Amino acid sequence: MKWTQWLEEQKTVATILINSLEQSRLGHAYLFTGQKGTGKREVARHLARSFFCRNKNGIEPCGTCRDCRRIDSGNHPDVVVIRPDGRSIKKQQIADLIKAFSYRGVESERKFFIVEQVDLMTAQAANSLLKFMEEPDGQTVCVLITENVHAVLETIVSRCQVLTFKPLPPEKMKRRLIGEGVAPAMAATVTALTADYEEAKALAGDEWFAKARSVVINYMEELFAQPQRAMMTMYEQCATHFTDSNRLHIGLDLMLIWFRDVLSLQTGRPEAVVFTDRLERLNAIADMIFMERTASGLAAVLAAKRRLNANGHPLSVLEQLALRLEEGAVSHV
Amino acid sequence: MALATSSIAGESGLLMKLTVYRDALAENVNHVMKAVSPRTTIPILTGIKLEATPEGLTLTGSDSDVSIQAFIPLEEDGVQKIEIHQPGSIVLIARYFADIVKKLPNDQVDIEVDSRFVTRIRSGQAEFSLNGLDAEEYPRLPVIRADNVVPIRKDLLKQVIRQTVYAVSTSETRPVLTGANWAIKNGRLTCVATDSHRLAKRVVAVDVDPAVEYKNVVIPGKSLNELGKILDDNGNDWVDIAITSNQILFKTDNIQFFSRLLEGNYPETDGLIPRDAKTEIILNTKEFLQAIDRASLLAREERNNVVKLKTFEAEKRVEIISQSPEIGRVYESVPVIDHSGEEMRISFSSKYMMDALTRIDAEEIKVTFTGAMKPFLIRPLDDDNILMLILPIRTN
Repeated sequence: MKWTQWLEEQKTVATILINSLEQSRLGHAYLFTGQKGTGKREVARHLARSFFCRNKNGIEPCGTCRDCRRIDSGNHPDVVVIRPDGRSIKKQQIADLIKAFSYRGVESERKFFIVEQVDLMTAQAANSLLKFMEEPDGQTVCVLITENVHAVLETIVSRCQVLTFKPLPPEKMKRRLIGEGVAPAMAATVTALTADYEEAKALAGDEWFAKARSVVINYMEELFAQPQRAMMTMYEQCATHFTDSNRLHIGLDLMLIWFRDVLSLQTGRPEAVVFTDRLERLNAIADMIFMERTASGLAAVLAAKRRLNANGHPLSVLEQLALRLEEGAVSHV
Repeated sequence: MALATSSIAGESGLLMKLTVYRDALAENVNHVMKAVSPRTTIPILTGIKLEATPEGLTLTGSDSDVSIQAFIPLEEDGVQKIEIHQPGSIVLIARYFADIVKKLPNDQVDIEVDSRFVTRIRSGQAEFSLNGLDAEEYPRLPVIRADNVVPIRKDLLKQVIRQTVYAVSTSETRPVLTGANWAIKNGRLTCVATDSHRLAKRVVAVDVDPAVEYKNVVIPGKSLNELGKILDDNGNDWVDIAITSNQILFKTDNIQFFSRLLEGNYPETDGLIPRDAKTEIILNTKEFLQAIDRASLLAREERNNVVKLKTFEAEKRVEIISQSPEIGRVYESVPVIDHSGEEMRISFSSKYMMDALTRIDAEEIKVTFTGAMKPFLIRPLDDDNILMLILPIRTN
């Protein structure tokens, strides 16, 4: 993506960076914050390209010169990227980073650092980083990236220019997914689940997820249409499909969407419905049950999510939820 | 030997083609392998770069801190070493390439690279096909202009390294101190290394235009140690030094050794060196070193290997004492050749003293004290170009 495209995508961030580039007054430390999938990493790389490209058109890197290509392939010796190796940033990685800070560049005096998930750094590691950010040497730019700015040491944040990336508006994301050939109902579903465009696209193309969606819709519809059979369906379909807690989380999220859809219809906001392909059945159920039932259904699913987070066994979480939901459905009929 | 002309080879879609003598190739691959590190975060640096030009073949290995280039000329001493059919370049994974070259059966090696970077290495009955990497991805090393070099005798350079680098800091708390600071001014090269407890300084004359001036060239101690080792295996007596804003280059014969410089300003060290002297003693280096060495047997590391020195002007001797309540004590008397100024009692690290004495390369030394709590100097008797400074240790 070019700067002009980033300007549309991340207006505030792109404006600040473009202005600094145009005036050749790039700061020496930036902290990019914002949700997953908002383009922090890509912007950091693009900034590196603008910093090193010798063939720039204005501030726009050419993307084809030796410097640009090596930034893409990870072979540029003066672009140092540190990303957590597993769950944390390892001691050796910090040592490498400090070394890179204390040496002059390989090809020129310019150096560019990108530290991803900087919140995973230990306080000790962050402090050693701090020392270099206090006294920047040479022409150095350091971009720290985090999804969780509150977990980053205050002293680090205060030394950086903080740029906040905004999540893609759901409407825009949905339109873009549909533009890429995703079915509208599926686009709406994944948009409701995640703000990360790449993740949404992956989900939309995932077979397991498509099945999960239909399993949940079937179960929910049956729960209200034929409650006596619902428990069976739960064991036969839900329990076999949502086999671990990560999968069950997605299943529960889909149930939340379903209840929210019913609630949307009950409160007269049909435009907010996500499972648009099941509008007819949703309408029937919305007319059939009281709004309080919908709300208690939502509460039951949220409680199940909490139990799952507290390491509840997926099957027992699912069983307990099914019983609570059935209670509501049966007592109504 | 295949004798295709370069134009024909070019039309055949090859990126590079050459024939080289195995021994020349193996020897030079061996040189550049010294810079290749198996642990690198930059994928392309797992490889060796081969660059064929009409003049010969250049091999490059690098771990980004240190880079070594070796050049195989078309012929050397009238013996043909290499034949270039098609100039070009390629990066080959160092580990495999080095092992392959070593074990090839024939004296001659044909290397041929196609447009997909697949490299065919043929020698006698053996044929290897290696997947290469785009040479464009390889770091660009600084290009040095010939008029900017500082020549220095190789043995002198080795001496400078040996006499200074031992004093660099091993702690990363002040990274700039892990390097030696070089400066060139008025035709003199000054090298300083310190870890803030001791300092080593060496000045040598270099044959260069007095107007040439460099300062704050901080070379990592690790690189200089590496260079010291490499200088051994080469014939020529002279080394050319070239300095750029980010790298320094040492060039001997057909080998070029590059090191990145350290970032930051090296602290001003001239102010640390005391000018006045309260006590000056002249000692035989070997006798003094052996006495310190023996005294250090009872000095313990956790107490900074401390030994005490006491002068006795009238008796023309110094006493070296080391003791620890748990182990015992050692006492030794060393004759002094000359003593001037007042009596002195001082404690210092025996390790630092031995480091300095083993590298000073003088039969007799002059030790200058300015006070029990002030740094003291060790110099060869009649040579002001070498200076070792040690900070004393405070004892009760």
